[in-house]
Amino acid sequence: MNWNAQEMDVYIQQKEYIDTLVVPFVSVQVEPDRMKASASASDFLMYLSRFIEAQFKGRMVFTPPMTFTKSVDLPTFARQVAEDFKESAFKHTFFLTTDASLAHLEIDGVTVVWLPSIPIESMEPNLKQSIMEDQLRQVLPVFTEKWSSAN
Amino acid sequence: MSSKVSRRQFLSYALMGTGGFMASAMLMPMVRFALDPVLQPGSDGEFIPTQQKADDVTEVPVKVDFVIKDRKDAWYVSDVADSAWVYRDGDDIIALSPVCKHLGCTVNWEGDANHPDMFFCPCHDGLYEKNGKNVPGTPPLGPLDQYEVEVVDGFVHLGKIVPNQLVD
Repeated sequence: MNWNAQEMDVYIQQKEYIDTLVVPFVSVQVEPDRMKASASASDFLMYLSRFIEAQFKGRMVFTPPMTFTKSVDLPTFARQVAEDFKESAFKHTFFLTTDASLAHLEIDGVTVVWLPSIPIESMEPNLKQSIMEDQLRQVLPVFTEKWSSAN
Repeated sequence: MSSKVSRRQFLSYALMGTGGFMASAMLMPMVRFALDPVLQPGSDGEFIPTQQKADDVTEVPVKVDFVIKDRKDAWYVSDVADSAWVYRDGDDIIALSPVCKHLGCTVNWEGDANHPDMFFCPCHDGLYEKNGKNVPGTPPLGPLDQYEVEVVDGFVHLGKIVPNQLVD
């Protein structure tokens, strides 16, 4: 499910099936020498999010990306978000990020999924598609493990 | 009857003529607008080419990816990647939509080792037989949709999505 009112209606009706919240974390940097890398990483993560969303539409809700700038202390920010999201009805919460400072962070009640960013901007669609499928294969076990451990 | 046109007749003809002209100037665009959707070439009937050769399609479903160019969502134009499960059934080529009829996840052929020869939905363990028939007792409530299929120059082209016609 995407974060829009229409799909939230479906969510409300089908709550029992949709038990997973996924939150992308995107860094926004506007220093001239960092801009391109920042945009590329954000492009990759959002593309991957859309791709995973399409695969698991009926079980995951994707929030809009949590964006942050360079002076934000990311671990603190992530913990704060996790704390606020505890009030949700979701059984599983995942943070999706390409930022290394979150890679090994342990947050109570949240699984952090870290992936290295791949520059997809110059790829032709078929290659992009297969890269995304590879990435999905990498992260899939993280999701399924959590899902099956809850049963 | 005199062939002369009286002043009164002339005036009424002239008024009818100009009045009719003005009325048609107003009505024509209205009629045009009303008919416009009918006159638009239907975009639904278009077939999208894929890279899948028709001769290479076997009885085992394969995932065929294709890209819908320039899909417009309001002002936002984008290329949408989509896929279909394609297999051969006698002389026919069948293309099933991978969208689960439960809540819209993407199903995979033999996606679960415990259920060979079936489509599996990883979200809630939904199962479908090869022809798209949903297995009772699993969450999906209907069979997988089908794509219209056309073979052009040896390649599989996919048309619009239609309800499953293989399951009775």
